[in-house]
Amino acid sequence: MDWLEQELADALARKEPAAGFDGRVRARLHRGPRWLAAAAAVLVVVGGGEAWRQYRGELAKEQVMTAMRIAGSKLNRVQVQLKGTEQ
Amino acid sequence: MVFSVAWHFLHDRGLAEETAQDVFLSLHRNLADIETPAHAAFWLRKVAVQRSIDAARKRQRRPQVPLEDVAEPSVRPAPGDPMLGGMLRRLIATLPEMPRMAMILRYQEDLDPAEIAATMGIPLGTVKSHIQRSLGLLREKLERRGVGER
Repeated sequence: MDWLEQELADALARKEPAAGFDGRVRARLHRGPRWLAAAAAVLVVVGGGEAWRQYRGELAKEQVMTAMRIAGSKLNRVQVQLKGTEQ
Repeated sequence: MVFSVAWHFLHDRGLAEETAQDVFLSLHRNLADIETPAHAAFWLRKVAVQRSIDAARKRQRRPQVPLEDVAEPSVRPAPGDPMLGGMLRRLIATLPEMPRMAMILRYQEDLDPAEIAATMGIPLGTVKSHIQRSLGLLREKLERRGVGER
């Protein structure tokens, strides 16, 4: 090993993490993976969005039915009037 | 070993700590596959290398300064001078990721080129070339400033 390689070995000597590293790893181990919390949050958002879309769909369907009922009754009235005119 | 590989590669204490934690959490999940203490050391080193490279790629904010463009120190450090150690670490930090990791494994972990090739999953010839080229660049940079002349 020449002088440069010796200097490199000294410069790249092992470094230790800050005290308490083991405890921090253990804490993460018990906390569970972050993706699980993220996945739960995504499910809530997606589920909520789906429920909202379903509610809007039902509302739109009701409005269409009401409009058809109104249109139907008006049509009946027109037909009755037409029959009266013919007679 | 694990934290140190990440620290020398990433030059960011927080990111190195997070990377090292990830490596140990991964070890915990894969404990059933570990057969001997030597296997555990090899496994830890290999995963530390992969996770450090991944972290650097995700971060993508390492200054892309070619080794030739690193500022010269105004004072000439001599071999054995702690200032020379800092200068060498800065120079190594400017190497591309694969030669940088090969140098860290060679001089921090004291691995031979065959062990480095197995750890990094690259051909032996590539490892030798990374080390020789990096040493040549460092030597040239230092000798241009008169460092190393005895």
